[in-house]
Amino acid sequence: MAVAQFLAGLPSFNENNFSKFYTDSNNRSASKRPSVYVSTKDIPSEQIIVTEKNSILLKYMQQHWDKKNVTKKRETPATEEPSRKRPRLEQ
Amino acid sequence: MSHHYVVTAHKPTAVTACVTGNFTSPTDLNLIVAKNSRLEIYMVTPEGLRPIKEVGINGKVAVMKLYRPQYEKKDLLFIITYRYNAMILECVNDGDSLDILTKAHGNVSDRIGKPSETGILAVIDPKARVIGLRLYDGLFKIIPLDKDNYELKASNFRMEELHVTDVEFLHGCANPTLILIHQDVNGRHVKTHEISLREKEFVKTPWRQDNVETEASIIIPVPSPIGGAIIIGQESILYHDGIVSVVVAPAVIKQGAITCYARVDPKGLRYLLGDMSGRLFMLFLETDGDTKELVRDLKVEMLGEIAIPECITYLDNGVLFIGSRLGDSQLVKLNVKADESGSYVTVMETFTNLAPILDMCVVDLERQSQGQLVTCSGAFKEGSLRIIRNGIGIQEHASIDLMGIKGMWALQLNGESLDDILVLAFVGQTRILSLNGEEVEETDIPGFTTEQETFFSGNVAHEQLLQVTPVSARLVSIQAKTLVSEWKPPTDKHIIIVTCNCSQIVVSTGNQLYYLEIHPNELILKGETTLEVEVSCLDISPLGENATRSEIVAVGLWTDISACILRLPNLDEAHKELLGGEIMPRSILMATFEGQDYLLCALGDGSMYYFFLEKHVGTLTDRKKVTLGTQPTILKTFRSLNSTNVFACSDRPTVIYSSNHKLVFSNVNLKEVTQMCSLNAQAYPDSLALATTTSVTIGTIDEIQKLHIRTIPLHESPRRISYQESSQTFGVITSRIDIQDSTGLNPVRQSASTMSQAMTVSSGVASLAMGKSGNSSSMVTGGSAEYGQEIEIHNLLIIDQNTFEILAAHQFMQQEYTMSLISCQLSNDSNTYFIVGTATVNPEESEPKSGRIVVFHFTDNKLVQVSEKEIKGACYSLSEFNGKLLASINSTVRLFEWTAEKELRLECSHFNNIVSLYLKTKGDFILVGDLMRSITLLQYKTMEGSFEEIARDYNPNWTTAIEFLDDDIYLGAENCFNMFVCQKDSAATTDEERSQMQQVGHFHVGDMINVFRHGSLVMQNIGETSTPTRGCVLFGTIGGAIGLVTQISQEFYESLRDLQTKLGSTIQSVGKISHQSWRAFHTDIKTDNSEGFIDGDLIESFLDLPPETMREVATSLGVTVDHLIKTVEDLTRIH
Repeated sequence: MAVAQFLAGLPSFNENNFSKFYTDSNNRSASKRPSVYVSTKDIPSEQIIVTEKNSILLKYMQQHWDKKNVTKKRETPATEEPSRKRPRLEQ
Repeated sequence: MSHHYVVTAHKPTAVTACVTGNFTSPTDLNLIVAKNSRLEIYMVTPEGLRPIKEVGINGKVAVMKLYRPQYEKKDLLFIITYRYNAMILECVNDGDSLDILTKAHGNVSDRIGKPSETGILAVIDPKARVIGLRLYDGLFKIIPLDKDNYELKASNFRMEELHVTDVEFLHGCANPTLILIHQDVNGRHVKTHEISLREKEFVKTPWRQDNVETEASIIIPVPSPIGGAIIIGQESILYHDGIVSVVVAPAVIKQGAITCYARVDPKGLRYLLGDMSGRLFMLFLETDGDTKELVRDLKVEMLGEIAIPECITYLDNGVLFIGSRLGDSQLVKLNVKADESGSYVTVMETFTNLAPILDMCVVDLERQSQGQLVTCSGAFKEGSLRIIRNGIGIQEHASIDLMGIKGMWALQLNGESLDDILVLAFVGQTRILSLNGEEVEETDIPGFTTEQETFFSGNVAHEQLLQVTPVSARLVSIQAKTLVSEWKPPTDKHIIIVTCNCSQIVVSTGNQLYYLEIHPNELILKGETTLEVEVSCLDISPLGENATRSEIVAVGLWTDISACILRLPNLDEAHKELLGGEIMPRSILMATFEGQDYLLCALGDGSMYYFFLEKHVGTLTDRKKVTLGTQPTILKTFRSLNSTNVFACSDRPTVIYSSNHKLVFSNVNLKEVTQMCSLNAQAYPDSLALATTTSVTIGTIDEIQKLHIRTIPLHESPRRISYQESSQTFGVITSRIDIQDSTGLNPVRQSASTMSQAMTVSSGVASLAMGKSGNSSSMVTGGSAEYGQEIEIHNLLIIDQNTFEILAAHQFMQQEYTMSLISCQLSNDSNTYFIVGTATVNPEESEPKSGRIVVFHFTDNKLVQVSEKEIKGACYSLSEFNGKLLASINSTVRLFEWTAEKELRLECSHFNNIVSLYLKTKGDFILVGDLMRSITLLQYKTMEGSFEEIARDYNPNWTTAIEFLDDDIYLGAENCFNMFVCQKDSAATTDEERSQMQQVGHFHVGDMINVFRHGSLVMQNIGETSTPTRGCVLFGTIGGAIGLVTQISQEFYESLRDLQTKLGSTIQSVGKISHQSWRAFHTDIKTDNSEGFIDGDLIESFLDLPPETMREVATSLGVTVDHLIKTVEDLTRIH
């Protein structure tokens, strides 16, 4: 398979893109820099990313605990409230 | 206390990540490039890449990905920084203004966890359901991308694979499914994990493939419907989808490891691969079956050579962006047909990159009290020297070869507002050029003479032209195209000096001065006088906006060396200013800058006096002097952006303008200019015509001064640079890669050191390398390198300071690595030497056990080895120390004397370090930077001939560069991208206190500093010192940034700190990482708020604020907005 076939039909988003690209032989290195974005608008973010702080070992034990309790629950309708133990999440 | 101001003079240029997508709108195709802590957003247009915005992030970008949530029409940008700040950004574009919104943000670090050696990996599920992060060994963090929850709860999954090389999400899976390459004792394996978001666990392994290639490093997930993944190894490429497995081992990829890829088409049939040596490949999946969904074969073809890539992205219509960390990034086009050299790649545009800056030196080659920086930049084939100079650039548009131009004027012969004639004066004659579009041809003007040299010509009042020659002043009507009046001096003397404006003329024939006025069709003599001494220069420029007449004439005089102001028309003296000295005034000029009238008077030695001029009474006050060049200087005015500028033509062309009512002197990036005039022609609007001794150049001038960078490619890695004034050369130590083949060791490619051998005295260099070094007893015979083995070869290159030609090269022994280089004089020896410190690197040894210090003398275009000294370790650093040679060798610091026999003899040593990497000296003091024990100050005791440890910083800093700020204050940089300042407390009462340095300042730079050098990028001690800063240390970073640190007063520090705090809260950080946390000194073991440093980058962003916000900031600080702008503008002028 020839390289030409490899390179045939390269994808195009807008066929005009780069069609008027003009190479100035003297100055091929781009000197123009974009203007700097400085925002003073305090727009709160829609969402925050929080990460759980308890270790995976605790999480593992808790999951097992929950599972055990689920099976227990069937035998003895529970008075215990394991659901009170919620993973700590940092704001 | 220590108060410092740190600012970036040149932003980082190394590209660390690039992505393509629809970010600014669903229909815009954008390229986003990450450079350290900055993002550059470009739009793909028919004309090429158009810069849209540059966005600063308060963090160093580790991974950047664009993704498209299912409910979105455009892409969102996910970024995670090296300090684990994650953010999701959206661009909102309402036509006029563009905003980058932080949709989500948060820190995802864990309190415990071992950061992975393979760095931060971040992947996004193809259906944008989750983001996966591999930050610490044994853990995998999942951020579910729920649209409706305010909190995106990241949770850790236990991952039993500890050493993960790469991870990706597979396409076309019901639940998010990871694929990863991991390593254990048996080798590398590929494994998949299906994620259960409910259980927060990996629930099953859909498929796995054990024992893939041992160097498999990259996973490329293949989009649906094909699915599966491609695993890139060093020698082979594997496709696997759980059922089908195809392996190929194309010979072409074996030469260099593939480091990055880009998907070409959305279906995922073609991929671009880039390797470490800068080669570009295309990988093609051949599919089979009814639906073409089964992969049958993989094909790899080499397309051509590019810059050594860090990242590649496909833009549009066969154009790619190649992001490089080691060289200039590129925009390249893929062609269906190969060119003559068999390459399918054409470079369309390059983007200058200084990174990584390994070393640099500040030199003032033009003796202009302005430093130029020469950096060792890039590595491997991208290695280069970069010459960086601040100044105003001229964009050259046309050039004509013409010798000996004495004067130049642009005229409007058409009577319209555009110039169409250029009058050029030569000795004894004049030539007239017509400008017709871009065509230039010689012509003549009826009424003008070409038999004489022209002293002045120009358009004057009443639609007339004026030409003044030694013989006469000739007035020509534009309409009638004839000479209408000619005036000759009443005596037979020749005109020597003349000055004109559009209605007045003053001529001098020596001592005599004549004042004429220009009327329709006649020149009328209105005054004359005889001065005691001869006139050397004259000026009659009208002062003030739209003025056409002057009431005074400025005169420079020979003999008594003075500048005087004469009143018109009588030519009586209003003021006389004796200039003193023995150098005559050569050019005098009156000009108005920002409403203030000035008189400028340039002398024959390149210096210039300037005064405030009171034009109504003609007095001169407030005299100041600057040095602009070394040759007679000619002053000319031109206008740019509606402000007056003066161009000083000399061997060091300078533009003089005013800012905040102070004159600013800015270098022009041209070698020399003898004459200039403004030119506003049809083909060359708002241009300047500039004459040199051999040509005329037409060009436009930059509006502001900025750093200009020139590249000297070396094609091998420069490591250290040193300037030697006596031989007018730079010494550069470099390394290149040679490959052992059947004929022996051969360079991989031609580079500076291989080409220089042809250029220098071949017998000298070639035999020197083999003969002299070969005799050395420290020679380790590494001659029996394996076939195909790559070997680093080190060289000392001697490079001409003007032409940058490689004058000589000295090749060091195999396994001998050059570590340090200085140029210095030793003892009473009058020669200046290049001294190189080396290490013999043996892979079996944990640290080098031997090395050499080699002394070279470059004289008569020959590089001669004068002396060598064997040492027991690596010579990491060298310094001249009171006529002796100071060297840091492994853990020690050693001082060598230079004997009369031209030998190095050990005088004393200091042992109290782990690895002494850096040395700086000041007087009797020596600053030592240790690998991991911060900095130590030693003093050399002359009497005892020994070192004494004076003080030490006991903080565990892994230093990367050190410098003296003054006798008691020391600057250090360390490898977690921080900078710190230590102070010696000599006044402390106890020895113990004295021996401990106080850390009085620290600051997070966000980039690794490799080198500090004293020096400045702007003209020093020139004109008014407007900035209240003291001293200047420049630094160069791995990311290609150049910055500077300067001392400021406590008072100024405090006022800037208030401004900094205010700006920190006023300017909303993209990604919502606070300025305070970004600049906090942060290492693996501690985080302390920044102290003792003002962040100049934040301070300078004040000038980018909208006016009303500026006012608000100023009001809150209790100062006027004008005062604040002026203060910040002054600070911008220090770089």
